[in-house]
Amino acid sequence: MDNQNKLWRVALYAVLVYAAVYYLLPLYIMATTSVKSMDEIRAGNLIALPMSITFDAWGKAWATACTGVECGGLSRYFWNSVQMVIPAVLISTTLGAINGYVLSKWRFRGSELTFALILFGVFIPFQVVLLPMAQTLGWFGMARSVAGLVFVHVVFGIASTTLFFRNYYVGIPDELIKAARLDGAGFWRIFFKVVLPMSTPIVMVVLIWQFTQIWNDFLFGVVFSSGDSQPITVGLNNLANTSTSVKEYNVDMAAAIIAALPTIIVYVLAGKYFVRGLTAGAVKG
Amino acid sequence: MGALAIKNVTKSFGDTHILKGIDIHIEAGEFLILVGPSGCGKSTLMNIIAGLEAPTTGEVHIGERIVNNVAPKDRDIAMVFQSYALYPTMNVRKNIAFGMETRGVPKKEQDEIIARVSKMLQIDHLLDRKPGQLSGGQRQRVAMGRALARDPKLFLFDEPLSNLDAKLRVEMRTEIKQLHHRLKTTIVYVTHDQIEAMTLGDKIAVMKDGIIQQFGSPEEIYERPSNLFVAGFIGSPSMNFVECHLAEQGGEYGVSLQSEGDARFVALPNGARLADRIGQKVILGVRPEQIEVAEEGEPGLACKVHLTEPTGPDTMIFTQVNGKEVVARVHPRAARHPGETMRLKLDMGKVVLFDPQTELRLV
Ligand SMILES: Nc1ncnc2c1ncn2[C@@H]1O[C@H](COP(=O)(O)OP(=O)(O)O)[C@@H](O)[C@H]1O
Ligand SMILES: [Mg+2]
Repeated sequence: MDNQNKLWRVALYAVLVYAAVYYLLPLYIMATTSVKSMDEIRAGNLIALPMSITFDAWGKAWATACTGVECGGLSRYFWNSVQMVIPAVLISTTLGAINGYVLSKWRFRGSELTFALILFGVFIPFQVVLLPMAQTLGWFGMARSVAGLVFVHVVFGIASTTLFFRNYYVGIPDELIKAARLDGAGFWRIFFKVVLPMSTPIVMVVLIWQFTQIWNDFLFGVVFSSGDSQPITVGLNNLANTSTSVKEYNVDMAAAIIAALPTIIVYVLAGKYFVRGLTAGAVKG
Repeated sequence: MGALAIKNVTKSFGDTHILKGIDIHIEAGEFLILVGPSGCGKSTLMNIIAGLEAPTTGEVHIGERIVNNVAPKDRDIAMVFQSYALYPTMNVRKNIAFGMETRGVPKKEQDEIIARVSKMLQIDHLLDRKPGQLSGGQRQRVAMGRALARDPKLFLFDEPLSNLDAKLRVEMRTEIKQLHHRLKTTIVYVTHDQIEAMTLGDKIAVMKDGIIQQFGSPEEIYERPSNLFVAGFIGSPSMNFVECHLAEQGGEYGVSLQSEGDARFVALPNGARLADRIGQKVILGVRPEQIEVAEEGEPGLACKVHLTEPTGPDTMIFTQVNGKEVVARVHPRAARHPGETMRLKLDMGKVVLFDPQTELRLV
């Protein structure tokens, strides 16, 4: 009985370790390849550890690699993405919080319908709106600009941020809002003094979620931007597709890691809030 | 002076009619209990009094004012909620101060009020804690402190004790009563617990299905329940209901009672009032303590004891009369063991009769 138990345990861990390796291997190969020299890559084994570590590929990916006709590396795209992601995340999160607050605590005639319609936005395939959105951006004079990308991401983000906040706020007892109303607080005072301070877990979830979504977006980036407003994902694509005489795997790998690094860092720093926020149920009084 | 008057208030959510014409009037300083089973509309009525919800029809008066169109914060009320509804991110001091801050009470005055209230409720050592670090009883006190800091004309308590354990509930009940004696504010207090209702209230409104079944003093409600529901709801153990027929025997009006192996006719004082109901079925309501052990030589109904439940000061005797289980509350020394027989008599001056159709009280 006991032995059988042990056997199961060993089998279980074997499966888990296998799965972990399976998922970590690409990251490992990316990381190691990015610090190898091209000579070593051509000579060596894909899996082998680097014999000597060099950051030349990183420097090149950042500053001098060619992305199409230009050869300025990813840095320009990276800053575009930063300029896009910060306002887009903040605005969509703020609006989602206010929407969720209204739809859960200040219900009005038709608020359920409103919520259902907003929810619909979560399921709309991006491709469907590309043309109308391009038209709209044109009307607003925001075509091919970072501001236009921010606008698109905010509009698309609202559906999911509203959903997140609304579902979290439903768990806050209505009596709390009633008590605050009796205390004389109005809509905004209740929001800022009572509801928002209770929202840390879900704010973290939404921030991480939105950051990841917007940073990693390629489709909107490639469609709604051009030239000097393109985000990092488009830059990475351009870099990898620019044909050079030799394929520089180490530069490609370094570029890919640069593109992914911010989301990884955000998750490492705030990931525990993400898990905590997703599992946090009703707020205890 | 009238402190609170509710005039023909109704409330419907769409097609569901929750309150169906509520009328209540209490004087300043009175302690009104709203009691009734869960879901009968007590909280809805409280929310209407507080202004958190609007009545579908009817008027609410607080003091001299009609407050239908007055915002909750301007009604001069404070409310204690069942869940306490303490702001979880604020410490106790902030919780109490929040309303005063909103109203713009000067900081110095706030501090004085917090000091006074927290001392009165013995929560002065908890002021820097968050609600999550408090026990249920302490949270309850903080919730009351928040209401007291308001010094309102009208206190609303919505089942404030129902989340506490039994012992604490009894303690807090006494404290609330003392508080009321001291402060002499008008209180509306919702509960589904009939013992709380009896012990706390100056006036009790018994509610069921959105209708006030009876409104009166605890004594009135206990001794002269207006219908079967009120009679059964108030009192523990509940009133016994025995079906019988009104009869006349030797010029006296009364009912015949039958136990297992004995039967006798018992006369009703003032039974003549029921002369026109002779032969008809009635429901006799008798509370457990209105059944006594018959002394030697006194007339009594010999009843077989099915079960006994000693509670300490009294013992409950379970037996059967007219085919219905009946509970009698007797002195422990007078109690017999299950299987034995006891001679019992009813305090006919106190029993009540109900019409089986309308369920209303007859006498
Ligand atoms: N906003 C609402 N919409 C629809 N029905 C409601 C609403 N609020 C309360 N009710 C219903 O009204 C009834 C009475 O509720 P409530 O006043 O909370 O009862 P109690 O406090 O006596 O337990 C319940 O059946 C409840 O489902
Ligand atoms: Mg209730």
